[in-house]
Amino acid sequence: MSLLAVLALIGGGSAVAVAPSTSALAELGRKIFADESLSASGRMSCATCHDPKFAHAQNNALPVQSGGANLDVPGFRSVPSLRYLNLNIPFFFASDGTSTGGFNRDGRANTLIEQAQRPFLAAHEMANGDAAAVVDKLGRASYADEFRGLFGADVFARADDAFLAARYALAVYEATAPEFRPFSSKFDRFLQGKVKLSAQELRGFAWFNSPAKGGCAGCHPSTRAPNGEPPLFTDYTYDNLGVPRNAQIPANADPGYFDLGLCGPERTDLAARRDLCGAFKVPTLRNVATRKVIFHNGYFASLREAIEFYVQRDTNPEKWYPLAADGSVQKFNDVPALLARNVNTSEVPYNRHPGEAPALSELEIDDVVAFLGTLTDGYDPVTDTADPARDLAQP
Amino acid sequence: MQRKPLALAVLLSCAGLAPAAHADEAKLKAEVEALRAEVAELRGVVREMQAQRAPAPASPVVATPAASTGVAVAPAAAVAAAPAATTAAGQPVPGTGGSGVALGANTSFWGYGQLDYNRPTARAADAQADLTRAVIGFNHVFDEATRVYGEIEWEHAIASSSDQGETEIEQLYVEHALAQNYGVRVGLTLVPLGLLNEHHEPSNFYGVERNFVETAIIPSTWREGGVSMYGNTDWGFNWNVGIGTGPNLGAWDPAADEGRISPLGSIHQELQLAKARDPSVYAAGNWQGIPGLLVGGGVFTGKIGQGDATLPVDKSRLVLGEAHLRWQPGPFDISALYTRGTISNTQDLNLQFLGQPTPVPKSFWGGYVQGAWRALEWGSDSSLAPFLRYEMFNTGASYAAQPLGLGTAPLPTQHVWTLGANYYLNPNVVFKVDYQKFRYEDLVLGYGDRFDLGLGYQF
Repeated sequence: MSLLAVLALIGGGSAVAVAPSTSALAELGRKIFADESLSASGRMSCATCHDPKFAHAQNNALPVQSGGANLDVPGFRSVPSLRYLNLNIPFFFASDGTSTGGFNRDGRANTLIEQAQRPFLAAHEMANGDAAAVVDKLGRASYADEFRGLFGADVFARADDAFLAARYALAVYEATAPEFRPFSSKFDRFLQGKVKLSAQELRGFAWFNSPAKGGCAGCHPSTRAPNGEPPLFTDYTYDNLGVPRNAQIPANADPGYFDLGLCGPERTDLAARRDLCGAFKVPTLRNVATRKVIFHNGYFASLREAIEFYVQRDTNPEKWYPLAADGSVQKFNDVPALLARNVNTSEVPYNRHPGEAPALSELEIDDVVAFLGTLTDGYDPVTDTADPARDLAQP
Repeated sequence: MQRKPLALAVLLSCAGLAPAAHADEAKLKAEVEALRAEVAELRGVVREMQAQRAPAPASPVVATPAASTGVAVAPAAAVAAAPAATTAAGQPVPGTGGSGVALGANTSFWGYGQLDYNRPTARAADAQADLTRAVIGFNHVFDEATRVYGEIEWEHAIASSSDQGETEIEQLYVEHALAQNYGVRVGLTLVPLGLLNEHHEPSNFYGVERNFVETAIIPSTWREGGVSMYGNTDWGFNWNVGIGTGPNLGAWDPAADEGRISPLGSIHQELQLAKARDPSVYAAGNWQGIPGLLVGGGVFTGKIGQGDATLPVDKSRLVLGEAHLRWQPGPFDISALYTRGTISNTQDLNLQFLGQPTPVPKSFWGGYVQGAWRALEWGSDSSLAPFLRYEMFNTGASYAAQPLGLGTAPLPTQHVWTLGANYYLNPNVVFKVDYQKFRYEDLVLGYGDRFDLGLGYQF
């Protein structure tokens, strides 16, 4: 949505004399992003779950975060990183039917503005309930005058307009602030010819790309886009990996509850597309080594373990799934039995069977982990270390 | 040090031969003079005939692409006398065997098309029928020395955002004759390498599909934008040199298969918003001093990084060379071609593609020999010409070394036998049938034994 379109919507009764500058909007968005007073609890902001120091993802190893007035209402999914999200694309079905793009793990939002709505309102997050509650808090924020200056003196009298304005400022902040797209990893410097990858990192890069080994680049492309943009390590598509059910998610205590991504229950418009059930968006792998938990349900707390799962899911399923009373493996136990056929079993490295060798050996897994470490932002060539916090603007 | 005595010996031996050579030279001069007189007489007759047959056209225009390099010894032409290679007005027309259709005194249009049926012998379910291409071309003469020439092509029947077909401008240039035997072209022109690229109309080649060497290595139909000069000499040598756009290595996709199917085909730009910092140059020549014999070759070279600052491609240079021969004694038609290409300084680029299925090759090559025989003829137009072709080619013959043994092994060289026949209903309508036998199968790259049927035409 363009600035003019948003301003036209927000403008309502009082005209906005001059379109706000992008920098002013971004600065307002930065303040909103970090403002805990905008939540029902008074202790949760966007930054609470999307911690800038952790590449704008969660800073703890809980599979889901809790929100609400008392920060005791558990969520349903792990927290994705917001970095590089400004380069995301709206949801659509490609010409071959492939689900592509969209924000959130199920792609149900098409823009950053749309995406920013749910966290403010959802009972398990900032829990404001409606726009009026959000705007009431905005009107009492320390930057309220700044907000009025940008969107009109009476903007808080129009709750829907003010809520849209706040989300627009957030979107401008996320789209323009350099810390959301620093391209400052060791791998970026490697692409620029400024540093060399270590032998182990190079091997891991090769296994990552090779269709005969990890095959990771099939969904997480590692080459520049046609316009020269550095790789984002996502093709924006969706995949059904059959990740094991996470008993640590309170909602999963109900054996009848399944988080099926594209087909619901949170996303509702594709509920009839049973073939899409269980598919979640392929995330960027930038900063993946800083993730405290991996996958939509945060089942894995270790990157190495997650890669082991990729390559051993089908060769050693007993390692990942519970056993039934008769000793059989309850494979793909986080999707209803009738939908287990949706799980990807045809592509590398899933196209194997018990008794076969995994696509990657233990040493090769170590190599891939080392390579993925080169995707962490905030690389310092002197110490050969990376820390996403290095990219943050100094106060 | 040993060159001087050798040169002296050569000189002396030549001196010893001088009297005989002198006598032969005088005889030759006399023959040439006689021939010149005959040619002058024939020119006069032709002019008289033209004056009687049509309203006065602009004078004979510059040579057609076919004539420009002199390679146009098409199978059709070998079958029977093709319809006049000039319009009713006596002008040369586009196309190599067709006569085109005149639209007024100065404009003509023409076309060709190709329909194919491919049936893999091991997988009948993969059989496919396709309207491979339909082409409309035009030629407009501005004055006695200048014309514009264009070719518009539709591939695979339907071109839309949801279909696989394409619409493309295959040639579009203005040509100006600077003298009777040389001229200049500016625009989108065909690169004059090989036997096929400039003469890709279906009646001009044997077999349902174009041969692999001149599609995988020389990426027919290969065209570039720029300026070129062409010409011919009295002793049967045709030449063509040019400078213009070249491939864009920055567009290489290491995850896709196209670069293994045709390295240059995957990065040529076809003058579509072509990145053009680095000009490429080419030179090609063909000698036809002996009737029925054609010997030629050419080279294309240029830096192909095109100033892409995001990839280590700035120093990469493409060199593609080829040599070819065609001999048509009587009912036989024998041809051979060899081509080899190299791309330099690919190591750093391929390091960024480590493990990917399609790194940039350091070298690629191909060659073929083909023999055809006009075995049967019916009247003056129809004929049947069985043929046999043997091809060898490799689109990834070598790759730059990479650390830790993580480089890519060369691709296996493919060998293809093609046995078939062209049946010319007339010189411009051809039915084709062939069987192709591959040394190894690779369905991704389109390699697999198959049976083919085809129809081609041009006018």
